[in-house]
Amino acid sequence: MAEILTYKSEITKAMNMLAQNPKVLFIGQTVKYPGSVISDTVEGVSENQKWEMPVAEELQMGMSIGLALQGYIPVTIFPRIDFLLLAMNQLSNHLDVLDELTHGEFHAKMIIRTIIGARTPLYPGIQHCRDLTVTFQKLLWNIPVAKITEAEQVMPTYERALKAEYSSLIIEMAELY
Amino acid sequence: MIKQELISFEDDIALLFNEGVIHSPVHLSKGNEDALIKIFVEIKPTDWVFSNHRNHLHALLHGVPADWLKKEILENRSIHINNAEHRFFSSAIVAGCCPIAVGVALAIKKQGGTDKVFVFCGDMAAHTGIFYESVRYSEGFDLPITFIVEDNGLSVNSPTDETWGDDYHGDKISYYDYKLGWPHSGSGKWLKF
Repeated sequence: MAEILTYKSEITKAMNMLAQNPKVLFIGQTVKYPGSVISDTVEGVSENQKWEMPVAEELQMGMSIGLALQGYIPVTIFPRIDFLLLAMNQLSNHLDVLDELTHGEFHAKMIIRTIIGARTPLYPGIQHCRDLTVTFQKLLWNIPVAKITEAEQVMPTYERALKAEYSSLIIEMAELY
Repeated sequence: MIKQELISFEDDIALLFNEGVIHSPVHLSKGNEDALIKIFVEIKPTDWVFSNHRNHLHALLHGVPADWLKKEILENRSIHINNAEHRFFSSAIVAGCCPIAVGVALAIKKQGGTDKVFVFCGDMAAHTGIFYESVRYSEGFDLPITFIVEDNGLSVNSPTDETWGDDYHGDKISYYDYKLGWPHSGSGKWLKF
């Protein structure tokens, strides 16, 4: 009997797949502590591959670049895409243009994971559920932006991001969880 | 490098700039040599140095070869000199390097390394939110990092104290603590709609 893929279980499977790489470090808010859909999906990841952050999005994005410069592959997680806007300085002015900025001297590869908040069954307000995919696609010159709209896309998207030499921005949809 | 070598290097760059040979902004550092020479005595070649748009002397003192640096400047990259071999990173975004440097320092600590991270920034950068967050985090986790503020009192030509207001006492905050009796969101009960 064919396995029925569900969005959340595929995301969880993808996180476990990423964690097989010892260079991967999951960094963000609610990676160690409950509080968003994120925490459930990284429950199977060992504690030493998780790094809980305070609410400091630009700091987190900059630190993720620094961790990458030292050999880590950060999976840097922003529980809502609305909050990722606060990290735009580091994302756009550094990570996205790092090759040109450093003339190829430095390379930082990471996976940025974020989520479009659900509008139902509870409406969280305009600051917590906008789909900003196009905004990021237009702003980023080099980092590919992928929105995962169905369960079947989850594993291939994350596998591609892990294999790639460049950084990726992956957007999930909480309504499909 | 000794002081006179630093001065000669920048005089040479200034001359090339004045002759129109360099087609990008350059930011020179005359007057900063003595302090920097003293600071760099403590910085090992394997340590990371994070700098900013005014980076020539930082690079030279960290061992970046003068001829390589001059070539970069001539290729119009003065404001973001970067050299991986010498672990020298710079960015022309004010305070932009601070959180990146924190990440490198965190990685060094997690990996059990002994190298250190040094971040140079100006006095206006030291008033930004990201500078505060970077320092706060580094202190909180006792990371191997030092932030060095080079205070010339200006950002471009804006006086730092005048633009921020110089009557700062930190007395505009009222602070108290309490224990939250509910979960972060909702009531703790799952509802089915």
